[in-house]
Amino acid sequence: MGIRRRGFLKLLGMTGMTLAVGANAVAVPDIDKEEEFNGILYDSTRCVDCRTCEEVCAESHKLPVPLPSDKIAAIRKTDETCNTVVNTYQTKKGEVYIKRQCMHCNEPACAAACLTKAMLKTKSGPVTWDADKCMGCRYCMISCPFDSPKFEYHSANPKIQKCDMCFERLKTEKSPACAANCPNEALLYGKRRELIQVARRRIYEKPDLYVEHIYGEHEAGGTGWLYLSPVSFDQLGMNISLQQTSYPSLTKGFLYTVPSVFVLVPTLLLGIYQASKNNHLNPEKEDE
Amino acid sequence: MDVFSYSDIFATKGIEYLIIITFLALLVPFWLLLNRQVRISSQVNKALGYLSANILRIPHGLFYSKNHTWMYMEKSGAAKVGLDDLLLHITGEVKFSNLISPGEFIRKGDLMTQIVQKGKVIRIFSPLSGKILAINHTLNERPGTPNDDPYGKGWIYKIKPLNWVEEVKKCYFAEEATNWSAKEIERFKDFMALSMKNCSFEPSVVVMQDGGELCDHSLSEMPGEIWKDFDTDFLNSN
Amino acid sequence: MNNNLQIALDNDGKSIWKFLISELKPKGKFLTPFNVISIPIIIIGLGLIILRFWKGIGEVSNVTQDIPWGLWKGFNVVTGVAFAGGAYVLTFMVYILNMRKYRSIIRVTVLNGFLAYAFYAGALVLDLGRPWHIFNPIIGNSFGASSVLFLVAWHFLLYMIAQLIEFSPAIAEWLGIRRAHRILSGMTMAAVIFGITLSMLHQSGLGALFLMAKEKIHPLWYSEFIPVLFLVSSIFAGLSMVIFEGSISHKVFFDQISEKNKNAQNGIIRGLSKICAGTMFAYFFLQLLVFVHKQRWDMLDTALGHWFLLEMLGFVLLPMILFFVSYRKNNIAMIKTAAILTILGVILNRLNVSIISFRWDMAVRYVPSWMEVVVALAVIFSQIWIFRWVINRMPVLRDSPSWANEHN
Repeated sequence: MGIRRRGFLKLLGMTGMTLAVGANAVAVPDIDKEEEFNGILYDSTRCVDCRTCEEVCAESHKLPVPLPSDKIAAIRKTDETCNTVVNTYQTKKGEVYIKRQCMHCNEPACAAACLTKAMLKTKSGPVTWDADKCMGCRYCMISCPFDSPKFEYHSANPKIQKCDMCFERLKTEKSPACAANCPNEALLYGKRRELIQVARRRIYEKPDLYVEHIYGEHEAGGTGWLYLSPVSFDQLGMNISLQQTSYPSLTKGFLYTVPSVFVLVPTLLLGIYQASKNNHLNPEKEDE
Repeated sequence: MDVFSYSDIFATKGIEYLIIITFLALLVPFWLLLNRQVRISSQVNKALGYLSANILRIPHGLFYSKNHTWMYMEKSGAAKVGLDDLLLHITGEVKFSNLISPGEFIRKGDLMTQIVQKGKVIRIFSPLSGKILAINHTLNERPGTPNDDPYGKGWIYKIKPLNWVEEVKKCYFAEEATNWSAKEIERFKDFMALSMKNCSFEPSVVVMQDGGELCDHSLSEMPGEIWKDFDTDFLNSN
Repeated sequence: MNNNLQIALDNDGKSIWKFLISELKPKGKFLTPFNVISIPIIIIGLGLIILRFWKGIGEVSNVTQDIPWGLWKGFNVVTGVAFAGGAYVLTFMVYILNMRKYRSIIRVTVLNGFLAYAFYAGALVLDLGRPWHIFNPIIGNSFGASSVLFLVAWHFLLYMIAQLIEFSPAIAEWLGIRRAHRILSGMTMAAVIFGITLSMLHQSGLGALFLMAKEKIHPLWYSEFIPVLFLVSSIFAGLSMVIFEGSISHKVFFDQISEKNKNAQNGIIRGLSKICAGTMFAYFFLQLLVFVHKQRWDMLDTALGHWFLLEMLGFVLLPMILFFVSYRKNNIAMIKTAAILTILGVILNRLNVSIISFRWDMAVRYVPSWMEVVVALAVIFSQIWIFRWVINRMPVLRDSPSWANEHN
């Protein structure tokens, strides 16, 4: 807690100095030095619905073991006991599988919505949840266009449950559990920039195999999880009418006007008060 | 548009809120200081015994006649009249004589009362026509009441006016009254300068100090001739 | 005159503690119809709240993973706060525009506003999964300044303080503390200006909360203009609530109100109805503008389209016309009817945006459980209880004691 306050004061001091010293010191992103987002490319054509990703995810996050394939529905949603699901869709090209989980957006709605910074977009890419900060207000759930955060409604100390791209595991291992254990390399972990280039190359090399669209390249302003599919994405239960700019930008208009209102309205009110004060008529003086 | 690294469109929000808090905190003293200056100088004037425009009380809901009497119509239909703050500041404490009894009729321009100080007299003519309903007895029981509260307890008569609308038409009201009072102070300064020259009177008390500040209760130090001149040349000259 | 006597008697000779304890004793009849209804609901509500903290929100509430906000947030917070908007509109009229006609109702409105915010903030805490962390964004553990909810939460806090300052002269009069009264009366103007600014921002902020849920709210209710529409509707929602609640208080606390204020009541109601008519006229056209801007024609011929028309025509246009006509004809009963219709309309609008059209496409719709309804009602009834306690003891509807009038 103290660190965050210090960090904030540091930011304050630095900004002050920057304003005082260097008007020209605008931050130009230095591509070599700045940390870039990591992401995961999911290629549906390589997925065989073995659901190993579900098992290792549950194991590494201490969640209940997923039920075997014959005991589950073809299409499920993630919930408070399950970070990811692999769904099966019947299409003209046969059975197509799709893995669903948090999309780790570039500018996540949940992180902008969180009033305690419990939902945080880390600089390396994953969107994480901090149990020490969360109030359980569920505003992140309202804002997320993918409905990723799930809430433990039946607990007295409820958690928000969603995929965190194995943020803890990444401190020691090279890639998240699902990508590391996928037997058919349907999941590829790497820099988002490189993943998009890989995806584009795959589409270019095999135009009949893939639909010419990388889902997640621009949806919601770009997500960390990218998808390639043999059929159009709406057939796989993905929402294709999402906006192509980030969701927090929708609140930009409102939040940007708040400081101006705070300055203008009190001044205006003082002015009106002063003007109306001079319209006082002398109140009747009683004789008593 | 490709995004590959961290950016925060709300990065400066924290600092902006701090600036707002600073603004609001500074707004209070800013506003108070802006308004207080005027009051301080008027209190200084009062303390030093100077008469200046900003110590005068000029309520905006009353009508003021050229001879520095005021009129106010009450809910009951009766009008109160009295002397305004400027005149009382000039004369100081006075007694009222030749008061007209209730029940009598009076016309605008008739002699309504005479204010007296140590034998010196100024005539006050009525700004209204009508029937006298009441006299304020505290005027002579507690002299100085009009000086303290010229528009409240210092009223002189309650009159049932016969021609209110016509007679207030020529009177000053609200903003105009404030502007007129300021001009009247200047006119009084000129009157004092001229008057003392004509009388060749050596004042034992310095009236004009510091480049033209007028003393409070200036006329109380003056002899009867100046009071006569004040009556004919200044107060009732038209 | 005998009001002065009553307060003097309460204070004379007794120490402040004995006075406070004596004030805690109930006054008046016990078995009124309101008490009979509200007491069981409050008791059951308390039990349900304990259950909620013991077993989790899902035990008591019907909210789901897809529809995370239910009656408590949608009704008590988003709707209830709209009705507390009467406080900022009236303080603007009385203190800034100096409309002295409304002076007599300013205290009761500010009291209502303060209690509303206090209790609805409480309802918000009930709906938090981990309410013990609510201090995080306040003490600076981490400021999520990018969040509209952060803004709304802070404004609630600050606004409650501002309203407390505005109302505190009444408390000082009740306790007989003259020096505090003078200081607090001096702070009123600053509190009023601060309060109006805060109110404007958080009334519109409540609307801005839903801006990111672009695909999740039905397009007939979602637009970028939600904050503006919420702000404008909070004006006439607050004033209608002032009319409604004023009529009730007038009957219940009849013996406390002075003769002058009783006669002024109808004039006040009429004046407020004029303001409501004007604001609703503007609001209706704002909605029309947004409708055209979003090209919503095709949506009108659906079930939700009819619902939208019902809200707009039946609960905005109709009460506006009623306010207009009843103002011209000076028909107090019609004004009160219009106020009730307006209140229902605002409830409808707020519930539409936050609950009814939120995820309208889900197969399983959200319907509040009886337990949620009971708790929501318990919160409102508790607020009315405290309101009644304060009115019976402090000079809110009664005139202030004479020593206080020098400062006001």
